[in-house]
Amino acid sequence: MTAQRVWWEAGCGRAFPVPSFRLRVRAWGRGGATARRDFQTRAMATRWWCWRRGCSWRPAVRSPRPGHPGCAGLLGTRAASDTRAQMPYFNLVKTLTSVPSVHSISQFHQRTPAVCCCSQTQSGEKYADPFKLGWRDLKGLYEDIRKELCISTKELKDMSEYYFDGKGKAFRPIIVVLMARACNIHHNNSRDMQANQRSIALIAEMIHTASLVHDDVIDDASSRRGKHTVNKIWGEKKAVLAGDLILSAASIVLARIGNTAVTSILTQVIEDLVRGEFLQLGSKENENERFAHYLEKTFKKTASLIANSCKAVSVLSCPDPVVHEIAYQYGKNIGIAFQLIDDVLDFTSCSDQMGKPTSADLKLGLATGPVLFACQQFPEMNAMIMRRFSLPGDVDRARQYVLQSDGVQQTTYLAQQYCHEAVREIRKLRPSTERDALIQLSESVLTRDK
Amino acid sequence: MSLRQLLLRLSGYLGASGPPHRQWWCARSLDSISSVGSWRGRSSRTPAHWNQVVSEAEKIVGYPASFMSLRCLLSDELSNIAMQVRKLVGTQHPLLSTARGLVHDSRHNLQLRGLVVLLISKAAGPSTGNSPCQNYDMVSGIYSCQRSLAEITELIHTALLVHRGIVNLSELQSSDGPLKDMQFGNKIAILSGDFLLANACNGLALLQNTKVSELLASALMDLVQGVYRENSASAKALLQRQEDHCRFQDNQGYIEHSITDDIGVSTWKEQTFLSHCALLAKSCQAAMELAKHDAEVQDMAFQYGKHMAMSHKINSDLQPFIKDKASDSKTFNLNSAPVVLHQEFLGRDVWIKQIREAQEKGRLNYTKLRETIKAGKGVTSAIDLCRYHGNKALEALESFPPSEARSALENIVFAVTRFS
Repeated sequence: MTAQRVWWEAGCGRAFPVPSFRLRVRAWGRGGATARRDFQTRAMATRWWCWRRGCSWRPAVRSPRPGHPGCAGLLGTRAASDTRAQMPYFNLVKTLTSVPSVHSISQFHQRTPAVCCCSQTQSGEKYADPFKLGWRDLKGLYEDIRKELCISTKELKDMSEYYFDGKGKAFRPIIVVLMARACNIHHNNSRDMQANQRSIALIAEMIHTASLVHDDVIDDASSRRGKHTVNKIWGEKKAVLAGDLILSAASIVLARIGNTAVTSILTQVIEDLVRGEFLQLGSKENENERFAHYLEKTFKKTASLIANSCKAVSVLSCPDPVVHEIAYQYGKNIGIAFQLIDDVLDFTSCSDQMGKPTSADLKLGLATGPVLFACQQFPEMNAMIMRRFSLPGDVDRARQYVLQSDGVQQTTYLAQQYCHEAVREIRKLRPSTERDALIQLSESVLTRDK
Repeated sequence: MSLRQLLLRLSGYLGASGPPHRQWWCARSLDSISSVGSWRGRSSRTPAHWNQVVSEAEKIVGYPASFMSLRCLLSDELSNIAMQVRKLVGTQHPLLSTARGLVHDSRHNLQLRGLVVLLISKAAGPSTGNSPCQNYDMVSGIYSCQRSLAEITELIHTALLVHRGIVNLSELQSSDGPLKDMQFGNKIAILSGDFLLANACNGLALLQNTKVSELLASALMDLVQGVYRENSASAKALLQRQEDHCRFQDNQGYIEHSITDDIGVSTWKEQTFLSHCALLAKSCQAAMELAKHDAEVQDMAFQYGKHMAMSHKINSDLQPFIKDKASDSKTFNLNSAPVVLHQEFLGRDVWIKQIREAQEKGRLNYTKLRETIKAGKGVTSAIDLCRYHGNKALEALESFPPSEARSALENIVFAVTRFS
């Protein structure tokens, strides 16, 4: 049995206090909903980061818009006062998580399922395969999307449909339909799903694809999902228009739902995607700011879509804002975890598995989680981060540093924390197969290898 | 802050420190942008009269269209874009000339779409029925939601104008400068366009009217398809030119011009509707929807927008053919209305023969070709077509009660259908 497992089970069995959870529950009990919980998750990551830096806690992270849901929260005094209580907990974690670094990374990775989720320790819950369960409502998803892309020009149609070939993971639509059913059951035990809720799944996939097409032009990427990118086949000029077209088709579907609240929620996503892309252009010199910047970018580029489409289906499901918040928080946490693991896979996976080249982020000059953690161990990486790995050999050297450090483990650990948070949120819903599938899904996020 | 002010801020970075413009590039890029449907840049169109029409119209809607407030522009992204665009100075990416064109527009044409939306809103007035849109505060007879809609229309148009300026990296020539610059330019162009689109979406969501959202989203879809078709027409021509290299030895200066595009008048109309008319037509319709006017009024507004935009486009297509002075050396788009009509009258084979006869030392002599076209019936029938659409637009206006705003809309039509 691994060290983590001992620790984790001990933690769940309350062999010793786990201060962070206790404190968080207390804060929760005082109400104050969104902003506070947001800041708690964010505080969790930032505390982890700062402890890792070995510095004493200081509320250094500046948020561009305090109180804006989903933005990096301003770390208030509460977090600061909690910090001392956190220290033993993190110390312990540190001691224990540092163990696997002597093993190979792949070994560690395979062990994560045992580590990752407290849900396994609880009995009496049966899990369906979330992907199979979700797919039951998504039959014909891609056909339906193609129907929305009613375009007269053949080449443009081919281009727009290029990624709707049924070979994607459909991760976002799956979460959306599972969340829709979980909320419906929670609200009035309804076993049905509304057609509008399924439309949200379509829209989520379309917005995602539109952003992929534009991102690939921006990054000058040449392959995705194991095939050439749109820009490599048809050129940049047309690829950008194809992206715009998919976005406009998604907006039409969205408008047809006819619910202004839902329209606003999903419009937020489009804005976040652009803002995330802008964040990616810039970088911060200060290490703490750099990490907060990274988390904010991760939220905007990946988690916002999942969080807000979860919220949208919950709004269609029931009028209770508490449920909307649960859906949003689940989506946000699972989304950040998803992207953290994606950034880990950029280092640990081979390109055949991913369907896109690895070390891609480094080549683009981006410092993701594993790099930022590795930089704490190897400060000489700072210079490389600042020049965006632009000198010859930088990418390879940075990769070596990351693999020598425990950056991969730390990022995975952080992803686990986000998954815990997601599970904690979704558990507040009434039990259902779909709810449990969403719990199960958080594990597949951590253990996926592509 | 207005869109114009944003662009002026950008121009501070661009204009002041920018290198002198190269002549060939200027001709090429400006032509490619204005020929694909910008309202601006046709300085030749009866300038005094046109300016007068526009500035009078701006007075009617309360304050100039270019002073419309844009919430989005107060954000940090704006300064981010400005910072990034500054890095582009000195490169040859088309985004620069798009930005320059947007700023150095002395013709007041930039925000004509927004202006028309405001005018038609005012011409229609408040609906007789129950409470209209959510923001029912009215300034100069226009609801604030209709003002937002006018901004959104401009945002969508500008976004596509920016996205049009993406370059294909694989087709770059050594004269285009370093690849890295072009990559970076593309990056910024995509992001700026997306930023404008995201703000348009946001504005639409704030209007809280899903029918309007759907109309504008479908207008965006039409616009994208229209732009795409124009692009692919010129790409096809490029391909053709490479095949017929000996016949059409060409310099890259003509890259945007389709030499052998075979489109009939009906296809041309369809394409022009998508790329030039759909946005304005649907925005006018949406403005009526916001004031809760009935379907009939909405349709009239749609018709005005559509026909006015069509006659405006034909007017600008006609400019190289009806003006004698100074423009002799200028090239013109071979997919413009007079040329397409000319080809329609002659038949394809005769047209190809005429193009061949206009070749000189491997280059197309536009002056010669222009004389050939002017001798045919293409120009006069284009003028007729322009007037036909102008009349249709005036007909649509008849259902609105007489007012200052209606007269301004009529004057816009008179200005674009006057050829003398």
